[in-house]
Amino acid sequence: MRRGGYVAGILLAALLLLTGCGSTFPADPQGTLDRARGGTLRVGASINGEWVRIAGPASGDVRSGDIPTSDVQGKDAELVRDFAAQLGAEVEWVAGTEQVLADELKHGGLDLVIGGLDDKTPWVTHAGLTRPYAESRDERGNIHKHVMLVPLGENAFLLELDQFLMAAKEQK
Amino acid sequence: MTNVRSSGTVRFGHTELPAEQRDALHKAIKLEWVTLVFLAVSTTMVFLVLGNSQAMKAAWIEDLLSFLPPVSFLVAARINRKPPSVDHPYGYHRATGVAHLVAAVALTAMGAYLLLESGLGLLAREHPTIGGLDLFGNTVWLGWLMMGVMLLTAAPPVFLGRAKMKLAGKLHDKVLYADADMNKADWMTAVAAVAGVAGIGLGLWWADYAAALIIAASILRDGVRNTRAAVSALMDKRAMTYNDAGPHPLHGQVDGYLRGLDWVADARSRIRDEGHVFHAECFVVPLSRTTPTFEQLQAAREACVAMDWKIHDVVIVPVAVLPSEFVPGNTSGGER
Repeated sequence: MRRGGYVAGILLAALLLLTGCGSTFPADPQGTLDRARGGTLRVGASINGEWVRIAGPASGDVRSGDIPTSDVQGKDAELVRDFAAQLGAEVEWVAGTEQVLADELKHGGLDLVIGGLDDKTPWVTHAGLTRPYAESRDERGNIHKHVMLVPLGENAFLLELDQFLMAAKEQK
Repeated sequence: MTNVRSSGTVRFGHTELPAEQRDALHKAIKLEWVTLVFLAVSTTMVFLVLGNSQAMKAAWIEDLLSFLPPVSFLVAARINRKPPSVDHPYGYHRATGVAHLVAAVALTAMGAYLLLESGLGLLAREHPTIGGLDLFGNTVWLGWLMMGVMLLTAAPPVFLGRAKMKLAGKLHDKVLYADADMNKADWMTAVAAVAGVAGIGLGLWWADYAAALIIAASILRDGVRNTRAAVSALMDKRAMTYNDAGPHPLHGQVDGYLRGLDWVADARSRIRDEGHVFHAECFVVPLSRTTPTFEQLQAAREACVAMDWKIHDVVIVPVAVLPSEFVPGNTSGGER
């Protein structure tokens, strides 16, 4: 036991040392947060009712690069725009189906996916989920806890987004 | 609670426990209940902060598996007491061995499963994702909570394990021994899980799987070791010490005593461990041209029984020559 205490103590000391050294804790293995801050946030948007609406021709198609930010509307889109503003980042929108966007997220082509998704989303194999930041009730009376998708294991980025979402939820 | 009066006699089958063993049994039962309560609290706490860490999952499953040995012990300690019956003339001592085997097989299966799952996760390079948690109006990283909970639950099992270990020797109880042994090593699981989560925090996603693999390997190791011990006990291996460190010294004592009797030329016995108590079949070769009297046989039997509370079921068989097919090897201790 005494030995266990030592090991744990050393471990904690090492942790505090590392966090004290200015590197973020938790850190992103792929550096998503660092890249987005003051840079570009690549966001996939999948059309879904009041959460994500995309104006313009053939709005259901997969498009990227040329979508004016004003074309993307809805509750989720507003949150993303505010989050990007907090990071000082430009949003680069990509429109598509959940399938295409989740796959892109998994392979590092996106930083964030929105589309009125809830915490029962099947895309947990491809992505990490934020904390639920809103609830809605569908016509069958089921409650949906809404989440966004982030790249797997990008924990600094996820924590930053979680903190933003919780703050935004409290302001309402 | 298991129904044991703190005074009066306690029996394992028809074996009456001496005061020391009776107290040890009461204490062990109490400690196992304390263990169960602790486990209920700690598994709940760990479950609440489980998240996506494989190391945490492995530690949690190990916690869940830790329920088995105490439950096995408590169940066996009850069934054990039943006196021998027409259908079970040897009594119910084997309940301990059966409980031991069940717990050991569960450990082995879960250890293997976790090892496989953690290995596959590592190969698939699935980065563990741990986000924030709302705590008193703040959003904090869930990883901190995970590490805190693991450190909180690390120490108590070690103390429980130490206390149980002492009792396991007194009671000659292998389930209690296995349980105490696992408890004593429990802090390593907690430290491994903390290291895994800390690794995630530092951006080393593989650290989580490495920690999970270590924990899974330790579960598997416990499982294999205990399965082996439980199976060989049920296969009537000769009586060993409670920690399987070596042959039980009582074997040599019994044979030495019988050989020393003035009417005995040679004696060998085979002794099996029924789960707390031993069953002994002692073959004695009387000196040539003498026939032991009933009184001599009776006195020899009673002296063997009086040697230790564990020896109760003794059969003495006078034979012309030692039957080598029943007592193989050269010496009573079986040192070949």
